[in-house]
Amino acid sequence: MTTPAAAPIGPSRARRRALLKRAENRFGFLLAVPALIAFCVVILYPFLQAIWLSFYRVTIFAPEPKWVGFNNFITFLTDPSQLQAWGTTVMFVVVTTSVTFVLGLVWALLMDQSFRGRAIVRSASLLPWVLPSTVTAFLWTWLLNAQYGVLNAFLLQLGIIDEPVAWLSTPSGAMAGIVIAKTWLSIPLFMAFFLAGLQSLSRDQLEAARVDGATNFQALIHVVLPHLKHTMMVVLVLGAMGNLQQFDVIYAMTGGGPVGATNVLSIEVYRQAFQNWNLGMAATVGVMWFLTIAPPAFIYLRSLFKN
Amino acid sequence: MFDLRSPLAKLIFFGTMAVMALFLFFPIFWMISTSLKSEGEIFVRIPTLLPQDWTLKNYINALTRDDIGVYLKNSLITAGSGAILTTALATYAAFSFAKYRYRGRMPMMYLMLSAQMFPFAVLLISLYPLLQSFGLLNTHLGLIISYIVFALPSATYMMYSYFANLPSDLIEAARADGAGDLTIIHKIILPLAIPGLVTVGLYAFMWAWNDLLYALTLISSKELRTIGPGLLLTHLGESRNDWGAAMAASLVGSVPVIVAFSILQRFFIQGLTAGAVKS
Repeated sequence: MTTPAAAPIGPSRARRRALLKRAENRFGFLLAVPALIAFCVVILYPFLQAIWLSFYRVTIFAPEPKWVGFNNFITFLTDPSQLQAWGTTVMFVVVTTSVTFVLGLVWALLMDQSFRGRAIVRSASLLPWVLPSTVTAFLWTWLLNAQYGVLNAFLLQLGIIDEPVAWLSTPSGAMAGIVIAKTWLSIPLFMAFFLAGLQSLSRDQLEAARVDGATNFQALIHVVLPHLKHTMMVVLVLGAMGNLQQFDVIYAMTGGGPVGATNVLSIEVYRQAFQNWNLGMAATVGVMWFLTIAPPAFIYLRSLFKN
Repeated sequence: MFDLRSPLAKLIFFGTMAVMALFLFFPIFWMISTSLKSEGEIFVRIPTLLPQDWTLKNYINALTRDDIGVYLKNSLITAGSGAILTTALATYAAFSFAKYRYRGRMPMMYLMLSAQMFPFAVLLISLYPLLQSFGLLNTHLGLIISYIVFALPSATYMMYSYFANLPSDLIEAARADGAGDLTIIHKIILPLAIPGLVTVGLYAFMWAWNDLLYALTLISSKELRTIGPGLLLTHLGESRNDWGAAMAASLVGSVPVIVAFSILQRFFIQGLTAGAVKS
């Protein structure tokens, strides 16, 4: 751990050096131990236990785990309401991630341009992301209120609709509502990643394209977007993973309803576990969810390690 | 980046910006506006943009009728402690992974990073009985420990990329001067890593502050409730339709994160995106 100051006696200098390195590295490992213990207790162990539970029947009425093999999985794959939750999740993730991706990129391109007041607009545009999720949910529930909501008032005034839309109480309206709220909430984060990516774009390259007579649109397509390829991948995967994890806003806005229209897997796990107290089934839903998240996450992590 | 000298380019640029800005900022403006309106002005078919009759009644209602002060205090305790705990654990682990060579180091880090894709709701299924068996259910300590789940993996990675960029010569030089490794970490490395620590701390804090799922499940008594479930359960109840008070309470509940964020955001954005854009 410390370097002894005494003159070398005994083992050769090289050997002493090697011994010292080993002691140092052993100390280095000790530094990681608290985090590793915490990781194993609150993350790894609960995860492995959930996998184990998915092969058992455990409910509040039958707390003694009973081995049922793949029965829970068969239930999941044959129960229309659970399959619907799966489909709902995939749809929510795909739509929300792609809409946020496009809008986040557009906003980043706008914020990369210099104009007066940019610093303020840039900082302010991070606001939606820092609000607590319950607040976001309240805010959008109020904006989308059928009777007194400002969105309906706005659309009525413009003559786009003739009657107020009952956003959160119809299946498709509720889906649209949670997609809009989650998109609004994540644009700042997506923008931040794209902005960081844009900052490493070399101005010379842009200048060269300009000199060659490229229009704004051509410069965007041939220089800017190709430069952002790596960032795009990161944003897509992180964004999709974040949307897949999403529970708070959806639960607070719709509780998964109406009639299960916004019942995504995170809410299904919560309901199975903490409302039905069917822990085995909850774990099964969780494992299926993990299997959905794993392929894109794996691709992302592999690219992280390559760097 | 864009050449905005032509009027058409200008029109497209600022037109797009106006539409996007409306989408991003109008909801926040509306939250503030609603919170300052009286009931009669809130419940109208076609509302006015600004309150005709400014009133602070909603704020007084939210602060006196709701226990929002208690919720704020509870959130500060749990999110603050959770963030400090996570940052401390992540920092030592990240330094260990970045600056020492021992067997199993990289696999351990990969495993930790892969945990980012474990669904949080699923971990809760086992965390719940685990905390119960230690008597930590419905306690702040239990919630603080659970908050490690959200940010430990990404915090470790963020600190890792930070430390990996610090020159190792710095450490070797200090060692040659006879400094012990603990001294080196605390006296030399950590002061240099303050921007990174702030980023990671704020990141962990925000996760915990914004959490609804864990707080809703692991805390059952009203006096221990944090801001997320506190707001939800108050305004889901009889006052579900009191949108003025709901907006006022929401704003009060958001102030701490907004303040922390506006002071520290410069560090934050750099740190958060650092690992992602290197290529």
